[in-house]
Amino acid sequence: MNLIMQQLPIVIRSLNAGFVQTLKLFLVTLVGAIPLGLVISFGSMSRFKILSAFTKTVVWIIRGTPLMIQLLIIYYFPGLVLGNAIWGGGESGRFMAASVAFIFNYACYFSEIYRGGIQSVPVGQQEAGLVLGMTRTQIFFRVTLLQMIKRIVPPMSNEIITLVKDTSLARIIALQEVIWAGQAFMKGSQGISGAIWPLFFTAVYYLVFIGVLTIVLGRLEQKLNYFQ
Amino acid sequence: MKKLLALMLTGVMVLGMAGCGSSSSTETTTETEEAEVEEETEEVEAEAEETEEAADADSDLAYVQEKGTLVVGITDFEPMDYKDEDGNWIGFDADMATAFAESLGVAVEFVEIDWDNKILELDGKTIDCVWNGMTLTDEVMSAMDCSNAYSSNSQVVVLAADVAEDYADVESLADLSFAVESGSAGEAAAEDNGLSYTSVSNQANALMEVAAGTSDAAIIDLLMAEAMVGEGTSYEDLTTGVVLVDEEYGVGFRQGSDLVELLNEFFAESYADGSMTEIATTYGIENSIIAQ
Repeated sequence: MNLIMQQLPIVIRSLNAGFVQTLKLFLVTLVGAIPLGLVISFGSMSRFKILSAFTKTVVWIIRGTPLMIQLLIIYYFPGLVLGNAIWGGGESGRFMAASVAFIFNYACYFSEIYRGGIQSVPVGQQEAGLVLGMTRTQIFFRVTLLQMIKRIVPPMSNEIITLVKDTSLARIIALQEVIWAGQAFMKGSQGISGAIWPLFFTAVYYLVFIGVLTIVLGRLEQKLNYFQ
Repeated sequence: MKKLLALMLTGVMVLGMAGCGSSSSTETTTETEEAEVEEETEEVEAEAEETEEAADADSDLAYVQEKGTLVVGITDFEPMDYKDEDGNWIGFDADMATAFAESLGVAVEFVEIDWDNKILELDGKTIDCVWNGMTLTDEVMSAMDCSNAYSSNSQVVVLAADVAEDYADVESLADLSFAVESGSAGEAAAEDNGLSYTSVSNQANALMEVAAGTSDAAIIDLLMAEAMVGEGTSYEDLTTGVVLVDEEYGVGFRQGSDLVELLNEFFAESYADGSMTEIATTYGIENSIIAQ
């Protein structure tokens, strides 16, 4: 116990730095994937058969393969096959490659949630809008969108919470997120070696952050209740 | 709205395909070049190959100099590569790599990698070399072009200094109980020699077992043993005994890299002028350096 108290400041500093990376990846993914998911959902609902078939194939490939493999492909493929390592070896390159993989992956999941949300708004409302002389764009933004948002908050909360924990997959391309930071002490780092507890301690970071997220998402859901 | 989106998405699709197209066209050019070379006569062929080599984008030296940085793949591994208090990478390997990059006229960049992915990182050009006390195993040698070995390492027996004389050969070790790091080369050495051993979580713990008397001896890395036991350390009563396995450290480059030759020359020079030994002394591994 005494030993742990000595190690604690060093470990906490290191885990904090790792968790900043985790948070950055989480936020960048959300900012990128939420709008991109909407574009993809329009693609898969399109009346142009070729476009919708193409989009559905992409969604199938992205949802049908492990994110870990996608990370490896996006990071190593340019250098291995095309002979041009576009990401570079540095930390920022690894972060960018991870962001691209996560945004694409999560946009595909989000797009299916959006599609469910949009299609759950009764068609009668669209028809009423058309009768009133509104354009399809107007109908989507003024009638459908907010009702859809209200309906997709619970499934989106699920995905967002999963995303927090999925960020740990980025350690496969040596992005130094919080689990990487915790694991470093097992083999030795900054004078601490063979310490197993930091790895388990990272769970506390996830738990606290997801606790905060759960409260925020719950509030959001309550605010949107006036649609009922 | 939808038409616009359809147009945008189709645009993205076309761009993606254009990307594929350009790479395949490069391939075609290379093939034509090769075909041309084949057509040349013997004497001209040598000349043509020379020109091709000069213009070859595969020259690692040219590639690194164009980038302006030598990206070195490492892990946190004292005394080879580790961070000082300000967060800068130091250690024998780190200092040597910095000096080598300087001799090439480029900056050095250290990148922490997942050790299991070192070959992927190297071939994917996300790093330019693996320089981290890498043991030259058959697996490593077949996947990379490696420099000459620059440092030796061994798995060595560590035991109490007052009984060390009684256990001067491998046969006598059978009476002792050993502590080894789980999954280490030391554990493999204990198993190969049919010794009775207990696996502990790391090498430092193995030493602690010996100091506490719960095990008679430990098998650990020689580099670590030299830094941690004997006079002036926290284990003054312990000493190193029989060497069980010898290993050598080298630097790994991409296959066919021209940097290997340059590094070997650099090693020879820095060994000759004493700077290599000087750096090794800083980190306490001067006895392990291999003459170049």
